[in-house]
Amino acid sequence: MTYTVIGHCPRTGRVGIGIATFSITVGMYCNGVKSRTGVTISQAFVNQGNNALVLRLLEQGYKPDAVMAQLAANDPDHEYRQIGIIDREGRVAAHTGPKTRGWSGHKVGPGWLACGNGLVGPQVVEAIGDGFMAEPDADLEHRLLMGIEAGRDAGGQGTPQRHKTERSAALVVHSRYTYSDIDLRVDLHEAAIDELRRIWLEYKQYEAFYRERSRNPRDAVPQEVFVARLQPKTAEAVA
Amino acid sequence: MTYSIIARCPRTGRLGLGITTYSIAVGGRSEGVRANAGICKTQAFTNRCNDPIGVGLLEQGYTPAYAMRVLADNDPDHEFRQIAILDRDGNAVAHTGSGTRSWSGHRIGDGFVAFGNVLAGPQVVEAIADGFQAATDEPLEFRLLAALEAGRDAGGQVGGEGHLPERSAAIRVVALPDYPDVDVRVDLHPQAMTELRRVLEEFKQYEVFYRERGRNPREAVTQDEFVAQLEARRRAAQLPV
Repeated sequence: MTYTVIGHCPRTGRVGIGIATFSITVGMYCNGVKSRTGVTISQAFVNQGNNALVLRLLEQGYKPDAVMAQLAANDPDHEYRQIGIIDREGRVAAHTGPKTRGWSGHKVGPGWLACGNGLVGPQVVEAIGDGFMAEPDADLEHRLLMGIEAGRDAGGQGTPQRHKTERSAALVVHSRYTYSDIDLRVDLHEAAIDELRRIWLEYKQYEAFYRERSRNPRDAVPQEVFVARLQPKTAEAVA
Repeated sequence: MTYSIIARCPRTGRLGLGITTYSIAVGGRSEGVRANAGICKTQAFTNRCNDPIGVGLLEQGYTPAYAMRVLADNDPDHEFRQIAILDRDGNAVAHTGSGTRSWSGHRIGDGFVAFGNVLAGPQVVEAIADGFQAATDEPLEFRLLAALEAGRDAGGQVGGEGHLPERSAAIRVVALPDYPDVDVRVDLHPQAMTELRRVLEEFKQYEVFYRERGRNPREAVTQDEFVAQLEARRRAAQLPV
């Protein structure tokens, strides 16, 4: 009972993941994103060893299909896993094991993959793909968030009779550094995707400030001063 | 305006970071926690290149002291950084640059470093250290949490106009595998420390279920069944469901 979009931005080469689920602290399992390498997710019955292995294989130059074959060979329970892999060139491999629960499946597009299990139906991964592709020129994090929001709005997890709440969600994007560009999480919340959007919108306000403060500490203003300047702007925007 | 602790559990060898701050999404900037290597954590005017370099050096077998010298040589603004480095054996070094905002400082203990900047005073890092050492038999994640809570209770962060709320917080613990053992976060909340305890305590209820479901999927119960069992146990113990 999880739905996810992973993507590669053809403009910038950035890679990232957007994910939401009923399970708590799902961001803990999003350690499969690496600058200039690729992005991977393992979900359903998660083999937590997969992500690090996938990134090492991608780094060595294996193509996503070949990496997936390695995972299959390495795991007697591969049929319980749902796995997506995208390399730095946007090539995609996907696997939805027959033993994953509920409606489960994936949809692959150029440089992206929508996948989920325990969903109300195939319309959810269709909607995630449409959401992700709605604004192809936008920043990757925006597109990933649009993807999972569209998945939620198409019914998300559960059965047609009973929707299951998204209790945790995460948004992770890497570009070309040894650290993340964006790494935001909601670990336990009754409307985790709404909360993720709130945090992302707030984070966008601070993003340049945090970056510049690090790079040019000599010229940095204190964060309290920055926040005081921010607040009138926010009030103006509301008015 | 951040206070943190990095530590090694002497019983298990697990390594962990506990951190809280006024800045948002602080847990998204903790790349320097690596199983079988150690921890490098930079804060104040964070140079985000530092932590991957520092932990990479530890992984190659360099000492924390050497790693710190490399970071100093690599950064013209080293005096604006606050950095703590701990290796897998518990050896630790720390640097609080003179350009960090007052009060800032650190305390190195046996297998841990408590450190922070823009704090109410030195009593905050002392309290973090005391909080960490109060219950040495607890799992590392709860010792880290207790340390941060003690730091908060000793006054925490103080900016130009008084106490600054903790808006984000995180705990990450690694054991032997190359994925985290515990990795819980609060990215934007008016009382991030209180919320972090709530999230960690809830996570601990699910921890074994999540791990075993992945390792032995053939025998896994559904999460619906697990949640129903959890609620039943809570009702039996007269706890809120």
